[in-house]
Amino acid sequence: MQLSLLPQDDGVTIRVEEKRLDAAVALAFKDKVRGLVAHGGARVTLDLSPVDFMDSSGLGAVIAIFKQMPAGRSLVLSGLTPNVERVFRLTRMDKVMTIIPGPAWHDRER
Amino acid sequence: MRAETLSQRQPMLHRIFRADPMTVRHALNFLHERFDGSAGEEAIFRVELALAEILNNICQHGGEGGAERPGGQGHAPLIHLCVIRHVGGIACAVTDDGIPLPDHCLGPRLPGAPATGQRDALPEGGFGWFLIQDLTASLSYFREGRRNFLAFIVPVGDAGSSGQFSPNCSG
Repeated sequence: MQLSLLPQDDGVTIRVEEKRLDAAVALAFKDKVRGLVAHGGARVTLDLSPVDFMDSSGLGAVIAIFKQMPAGRSLVLSGLTPNVERVFRLTRMDKVMTIIPGPAWHDRER
Repeated sequence: MRAETLSQRQPMLHRIFRADPMTVRHALNFLHERFDGSAGEEAIFRVELALAEILNNICQHGGEGGAERPGGQGHAPLIHLCVIRHVGGIACAVTDDGIPLPDHCLGPRLPGAPATGQRDALPEGGFGWFLIQDLTASLSYFREGRRNFLAFIVPVGDAGSSGQFSPNCSG
């Protein structure tokens, strides 16, 4: 499970460097991100742009991270590929979580 | 490869493997090798996600209740997966020798999202069977002897339309 960390002015971007966010990695993903969130700022952006496929295990991990965000901190999702976006839409979790277009990572580096 | 050859060939996949998250990954990667380009990208995604949910469920729960087995040990079920492309859809059959599928899995499902503003009440699981039912058609299940048999279709709108059939798709 590979993650990249990019500090931002108001927090941190965590980029998920995996093609698949599935049952094989969901638990490790959840634990690693939670460890990084502890050191982040007010706003944590989870950049999912490398992820081609996510199943309900991956979705459950994202929701668990969202629910456990400390008070006063926000979680934003970015860079959803079509298949990942479909899972959020099918489960209606797109109505609950904050999703912004585009990979924040790339925008920042340009 | 010539498009006319591809369009005449109906891809199929048959794999037998022990239930494990990594063997499931390999099977789904193989699904792409075999089926990419044989139907629209969204149809392939629906097959992949439905199968991922079904196979993960077998990995997670199928080996429970080891008392039925000699020695009383849990075991990783042996899965047979068969996927066939035909006109109008992609047909899948999954069998395994894990514990029986509980009745409620195939019962009516509601999407997991509760009323907004209730972050702590959000479910972290339980999406699997909702997704399976949403993604598939003609979902059927029976148990015979020690094996579960689950079959479904993901419709592909290619009966009389070539819109979703893209043999030159490289993606």
